[in-house]
Amino acid sequence: MLGIKNLTIDDIELIFETASNFKEIINRPIKKVPSLRDITIANVFFESSTRTRLSFELAEKRLSADVINFSSSTSSVNKGETLLDTVNNILAMKVDMVVIRHSSPGAPHFLARHINANIVNAGDGTHEHPTQALLDTFSMRLHFGSLKGLKVAIIGDILHSRVAISNIFALQKLGAEVMVCGPNTLIPMHISELDVKVELEVRKALEWCDVANILRIQLERQQIKYFPSLREYALYYGVNRQLLDSLNKEILIMHPGPINRGVEISSDVADSDHSIILEQVENGVAIRMAVLYLLAGSPSVN
Amino acid sequence: MRILIRDAEILDSISKHHLKRKNILIENGIIIFIGSGIPKADRVIKGKDLKASKGWFDMFAWFGDPGYEFKEDLESGTNAAAHGGFTGVALLPNTKPVIQTKNDVSYLLSGNSRRITEVFVIGSVTENNLGDDFTEMIDLHTAGAIAFSDGLKPIWQTDVMLRSLQYLRKFDGLLINKPEDLRLNMFGVMHEGKTSTGLGMRGMPRLAEEVMIARDLQLLAYTGGKLHFANISTPNALKMIRNGRKNGLRVTCDVAAHQFALDDTRLHDFDTSYKVNPPLREQSDILALIAGLKDGTIDAIVSSHQPQDEECKKLEFDYASFGMTGLQTVLPYMQGISEKIGWETLIEKVTSNPRKILNLEDIPIQKGNKANITIFDPEDTWLFDEKTNMSKSENSPLLGKELKGKIVAVFNNKKHLIVG
Repeated sequence: MLGIKNLTIDDIELIFETASNFKEIINRPIKKVPSLRDITIANVFFESSTRTRLSFELAEKRLSADVINFSSSTSSVNKGETLLDTVNNILAMKVDMVVIRHSSPGAPHFLARHINANIVNAGDGTHEHPTQALLDTFSMRLHFGSLKGLKVAIIGDILHSRVAISNIFALQKLGAEVMVCGPNTLIPMHISELDVKVELEVRKALEWCDVANILRIQLERQQIKYFPSLREYALYYGVNRQLLDSLNKEILIMHPGPINRGVEISSDVADSDHSIILEQVENGVAIRMAVLYLLAGSPSVN
Repeated sequence: MRILIRDAEILDSISKHHLKRKNILIENGIIIFIGSGIPKADRVIKGKDLKASKGWFDMFAWFGDPGYEFKEDLESGTNAAAHGGFTGVALLPNTKPVIQTKNDVSYLLSGNSRRITEVFVIGSVTENNLGDDFTEMIDLHTAGAIAFSDGLKPIWQTDVMLRSLQYLRKFDGLLINKPEDLRLNMFGVMHEGKTSTGLGMRGMPRLAEEVMIARDLQLLAYTGGKLHFANISTPNALKMIRNGRKNGLRVTCDVAAHQFALDDTRLHDFDTSYKVNPPLREQSDILALIAGLKDGTIDAIVSSHQPQDEECKKLEFDYASFGMTGLQTVLPYMQGISEKIGWETLIEKVTSNPRKILNLEDIPIQKGNKANITIFDPEDTWLFDEKTNMSKSENSPLLGKELKGKIVAVFNNKKHLIVG
């Protein structure tokens, strides 16, 4: 599972169907199933992450897999050991599956080419974050029934966002229309070539869309200055109650977390009835259980 | 030893035998016969569709000698060059230490008498290629450097570029600049476009190359002198160079052979062997480069040979080094566009043109002359694998592939190499 790009609609449907079953299971008093007993999964995180790592770990434990965690805030290169060596060392301890997060786009693809194990991409730099896109579209589907013709605006830092790229691929496969919105410096120059609309005015994006997926403004991933201050961002790109109320329509509010209250989203929006931010988190576990379960059943590497 | 080349079409616009099929006899490094007769010889070279040109010249190659000999040293590099058809290579100064003193120059030149492929030296413009302070360019020139460049690095400071052009006017020296605005390319790893956007990889926009070409042409108009742009890759770059020349500027340019053959979609699965700078661009750029080769805007084809060891390439894409080996694959890449451009034109770009740009002697294929000759068969195929690869490095996307366009033999410096 390297990315959404190479998934077919049938693949996505199968993941959704499986996730629905798991969602039902994790709401039972006994949340655990024995599906992945005897399977060992390594969560290898080269970039800090709280919720994605927790979500994967929970999904693995609820499937009864044995779990080991490896995290390193610095890249493997800085530590003097290559990524390939690190992962090969982990595999030598008889690990069946690797969930990897890495700051370099394509790092999971690179591993997949050189090692013989199932790999799940838990976010590769600014490239993809497939399980996030699956849980986002799964959540939308639970809400709307179908994504055909649905208008989804992704608002925020598109340039540094793997969530945006995976969401664009997933939404388009499922028939939704996509718009990206943010400061022009945070929108990739050629994004419209991926058949998405571009809007620089948040109000107009909100007027257009059925769903607003608001992205975290990530100052830590910006090596160059792209906008002057969080204050100006909040003033001109932040989504707040007042703005939503002035629209005369209802918009579903999503956010992949963690949220910066008062920057890209105000508290009264994040905590409102239209927000499904916590539902996304719940669905995340079900989606990750589905992905791991299906991968464990497939002999081939991706 | 007398070696006879049978029935080869001679491609040499300054020879009276140009475009004629002849037998060529070489003895002790001298062409002693060209004609239709079949003189006696110790060794005969035959083929289906042999072509004979002057020995090829590569004006943009990097070896790691001194400093990075494990990637490529002078022996392995010149051997790879010979097997690629080149009897002369101009080496970039980005070594460790940088080529910036007369001792460095003589080190590189010292082994030339025993080599079939001769090494030529491009001296560094700035100390340690840092872009700040000048090297002693007059002294380097006196010691034998044939041009000046910071090689793989652009001369990025406008005032340094200006003064370099001015300083070189004393001996009408050639400045070679690889145009790249480093700030616009910052963190870039591939061409900026649809493909990079979908891959989430930082782009290197065409603009980064073009902004520097625009700047340099303005500077050249101000200072006078000679400027060569290395490894150009965009349609706009060509347009500006064409215009500059029309306005009387002495400006030339080259393209790396892989640049007109490969596009950015090759990077779809993050294969680091395609990570080069300038980056592989789009089909529209390739078409413009082919047109530029045809109409003469692009003067020379270079290998842009940049060997990298496995430790620099078998890495996450971000961390992998730029560059691919190129010396042995220029012919197969040229073969891919030979129907559109014609061998007569292509061969000029690896023989007379680079020598003219560098002010080097260009000896025609004629009886009595020194034999500096490359024999090739554009239709014959060969396997490029660990056995036939002569470089110390293996970072070529063509490695393991059957290639069309084969070097058959090279002659130079009273030596010959017949490729099996």
